[in-house]
Amino acid sequence: MLEIKPIINALRRSKVGAVLLLIQIAITTAIVSNAAFIIQDRMTYLQQDTGYPEQDIFSLSVMTYGKDRDLSQQFEEDENMLRNLPGVVDAAITNAVPLSGSGSASGMGLKPAPEPGRSVRAGYLMADDHMLNTLGVTLSEGRNFYPDDVIVTQDPNKLPKVAIATRTFADEAFPEGDGLGKMMYIGDRPFKIIGIVDKMKGPWLKDDRPDNVIIFPYIKAETYQHIIIRTEPGQRAAVMQTIEDKMLAAYDKRVITNVIAMDEDKRQYNASDTLMLRMLMVLIVVLVAITALGIFGLTLFNISKRTRQIGTRRALGARKSDIIRYFMVENTLICAGGLLLGCTAAILMGQQLLQRFSLPALEMQYVAGTALMVLVMTLLAVIFPARRAAQISPSVATRSI
Amino acid sequence: MFLHYIDLGWRSLRRTPTVSFLMVLAIALGIGITMTSLSVYHMMSMDPIEQKSDRLFHPQLQTMDDGNDTWSEDNLPFQLTYQDAQHLAQAPVGRYKAAMLRTGFTLHMENSDVRPFIQNARATHADFFNLFDLPFIYGSAWTQEQADDASPVVVISEALNDKLFGGRNSVGEQFFLDDTAFRVVGVVAPFTTHMKFYDVNNGAFRDHENLYIPFSLIAVMDIDTWGNSNGWKFENIRSMKDKRQSEIFWLQFWVQLDDDAAVKQYGEYLMGYMAEQQKSGRFNRENLQFGLRNVNDWLDYRNVVSEDNEVLVALSFMFLAVCLANILGLLLAKFMRRAPEVGVRRALGASKRQVFLQHIVEVSMLGLIGGLLGIALAQLGLWGVRLTQEYYSPLATMDMTMLLSAPVIAIAACVIAGMYPAWLVCRTTPATYLKTQ
Amino acid sequence: MLTMKNVSKVYQTEMVQTHALRDFDLEVKEGEFIAVTGPSGSGKTTFLNIAGMLEPFSSGQYMLDDVNVGALSDNQRADLRNQKIGFIFQGFNLIPDLNLYENVEVPLRYRGIKAAERKKRIEACLEQVGLASRAKHLPQQLSGGQQQRVAIARALAGEPRFLLADEPTGNLDSLMARQVMELLEQINRDGATIVMVTHDPELARRAPRNIQIVDGQVADLTLYQGVARQTDRAVVGG
Repeated sequence: MLEIKPIINALRRSKVGAVLLLIQIAITTAIVSNAAFIIQDRMTYLQQDTGYPEQDIFSLSVMTYGKDRDLSQQFEEDENMLRNLPGVVDAAITNAVPLSGSGSASGMGLKPAPEPGRSVRAGYLMADDHMLNTLGVTLSEGRNFYPDDVIVTQDPNKLPKVAIATRTFADEAFPEGDGLGKMMYIGDRPFKIIGIVDKMKGPWLKDDRPDNVIIFPYIKAETYQHIIIRTEPGQRAAVMQTIEDKMLAAYDKRVITNVIAMDEDKRQYNASDTLMLRMLMVLIVVLVAITALGIFGLTLFNISKRTRQIGTRRALGARKSDIIRYFMVENTLICAGGLLLGCTAAILMGQQLLQRFSLPALEMQYVAGTALMVLVMTLLAVIFPARRAAQISPSVATRSI
Repeated sequence: MFLHYIDLGWRSLRRTPTVSFLMVLAIALGIGITMTSLSVYHMMSMDPIEQKSDRLFHPQLQTMDDGNDTWSEDNLPFQLTYQDAQHLAQAPVGRYKAAMLRTGFTLHMENSDVRPFIQNARATHADFFNLFDLPFIYGSAWTQEQADDASPVVVISEALNDKLFGGRNSVGEQFFLDDTAFRVVGVVAPFTTHMKFYDVNNGAFRDHENLYIPFSLIAVMDIDTWGNSNGWKFENIRSMKDKRQSEIFWLQFWVQLDDDAAVKQYGEYLMGYMAEQQKSGRFNRENLQFGLRNVNDWLDYRNVVSEDNEVLVALSFMFLAVCLANILGLLLAKFMRRAPEVGVRRALGASKRQVFLQHIVEVSMLGLIGGLLGIALAQLGLWGVRLTQEYYSPLATMDMTMLLSAPVIAIAACVIAGMYPAWLVCRTTPATYLKTQ
Repeated sequence: MLTMKNVSKVYQTEMVQTHALRDFDLEVKEGEFIAVTGPSGSGKTTFLNIAGMLEPFSSGQYMLDDVNVGALSDNQRADLRNQKIGFIFQGFNLIPDLNLYENVEVPLRYRGIKAAERKKRIEACLEQVGLASRAKHLPQQLSGGQQQRVAIARALAGEPRFLLADEPTGNLDSLMARQVMELLEQINRDGATIVMVTHDPELARRAPRNIQIVDGQVADLTLYQGVARQTDRAVVGG
């Protein structure tokens, strides 16, 4: 038999304590459900599959200041040298490094400019036929570039005629899913999609179209250029260590910088999300601990205030389990009120966050999950003081204090 | 009497060490977490150039054809085209003005131990140093004549001067940027702010450039930007010359306007300039529009404070509220248990005010201790922030304002939490507790 | 010195009204020593609390040295209490974390007396109750009688003209009770007016004037000494 009515009456008499508990539970529920949701959102983002074997890839930047050599030829020699290094699977010169947060993007037209027509934005990489192998991605349709497709030039009028695109991009451009073999345009220059890769992320994971990527078979040697290298598993660190010396030994009027592993590059690009994640986790843990402590303390206080009353109840025949149940029910009642308020606050707060910041809409299961967790935590925090209350001897009722 | 209250407060805290510890811990955690996010927020939202932030303006020109969109909230392009930047730099309005862009070179020296390295540089007008109050340690900015001739001269930062020349007066010394020999004409003092407010395109908290070259070199050396370029229509760009003549936005521009009249005049000038450009057929628009924001409005407009950080500040203040509710509960328990003692004091002539003050002083002490401990926790938190994100390193620190506000916030929070229990305890009829003990 | 006319005190709870005092009349003259007796719940403590301005009263008039107490604010009452009235409680009510010296200091602090002057008075008062040597002790280190003597010293420290004692000997054995009583008589001889609530008929008889409170109303026993002796036995001791 749950004695809810007398409990409610008792609560009405010690309003402040109950209200404080209620407020704490409400705020905790509101914060934790929203924070947990943001955490989950960022976790999914951070752990997404990029399509690359990140742990085997690294990149570096080359800034050449010497003018005594032909850059195109130099880079060709570099590529050959790198591809033959022990431990290296493949290497490619490129204009941009995927996941690094820096690169180029442009709208690819379905019609040649200046004809009006839809265009689809994509991050683009310019490299030779080794690029796919270097990035460790495979074609699901079509073919790789032939060496003949690759244009190595300094003449801005020579442009590539073919390209490899991601499935996402091809489907956005050609919603029927028949993008392979279709023509598209950079300005008025046509190119044909000859290959499709299922998954391959572009330079910016936070782009609104991170999966729209195109590779052109094109190398226009610049004084500032990137090189991507894939190594045998486990060999990356060793290769990275000697790479600067190897590059400078091949030609020394240049600077090698940004020798960085792909996963580290991604980590740096995502540092602010990791930071948010960690801060929120700390916040949640400490908050839950503080609230549990608060409930614990207030229950202890309530019990010490009612020592005599408990003794009297015991003297009148209440069992220990009755006393424990009394406090459990009392706290569950408060907690239920707090959760009701907290869930409402959580939803309102979620709406505010959605409105004011670019955060996705709060999913209800997070509110429900948090409510359940808070309830369990509340009960756990009450058990110990309630058991202590049950230990109160019936004799205190007869003794005067 | 105040000292007496402190003494009483101290005894009271010591009498119930567990409760006091819990309360101090609650405040310290609340303050620690709040101060961690607030410090980063404070550093992010700080006025980077207080003495003249309201006099420095970044103009924006709407030079897109109707029907084109850019990313900004008011659809004005963030940057300027080369031709517009070049024109505004020559304009007869504005006290100081400078167009600018970020670029970079390999820096190498003859007969030096310094290995060639890549150095970020800013190509700008000589007014840059006047605009942003950067004093020269040695030498001066390049002259108008040197700018007109596009002389290969360079102003370097104190840090670069230390690295290359061991801090001595390097005016007249030479080094190579790529394959061109440059001569040092000045060494300039560092910026006092971490915020790169004059060019937030690639992150407002990147390092300042250490090297400045005349703007006129952009055309002569075919210098491209290392920052963002945004086009809105297809243009066949085959060379840097094409880019300079294009409608691509890739330069920043700042102008100093000393009073409202100057601001108004500058706005009129911009309108006139755009009308003239439209007449020549450069763009096709119904309405002409320009933007002219001062430093703080500009930073606000460019969302320099990250949303994540704003969310965190909001959440941590709510967290602080939970801590306060906790403290309030504990104080209530503690103070009510002391009601008999208060009864005695009231009987001996203490007024309600005196009793109230005694308790408020006690909770303030709690706040002070908690606040100080909170600073320590915040330092730990900021250390974690720096560890997670190097980019935030200069931001994840507490300056004087934050160090002082931590205990102030803690004390204020505690006084708010303590108000109700203190009022309750001073309000009780003293007689109630005197009869029995 | 103290005049109460038609003073009533009603306690109002949710269900019932309790009349603790009704149409209570009393005049206390300067220098008197009055013992108040009466059965449990008759209103003795309520009377004392109202006299000491610890509790407001519901109706009637209370003049203390020509000041109308009913018209005073809480702060004014606190000041008046601090200056004119000393309290002695049955439970001593010493503040446990303060040592004897500091306990006696409490009312002087509230009066805003300078430290040097405070020291002089505290030492004198502790000397008077014979505990000067124990000034640094905490209350729980003393016996009950010693604690009550400290409480008396604390009541005397402010040099009050009016001393209110609520069962000052209630928690003491008879030897200690006698010592405390002698101390009170000495204080009365030195000029203070004393009103003492007590259960102990022997102590009551030592006081020059006896008042009995029954059902919130006063019966001045000095006027009917003979009758009082009889009734005393019947009512006292409950």
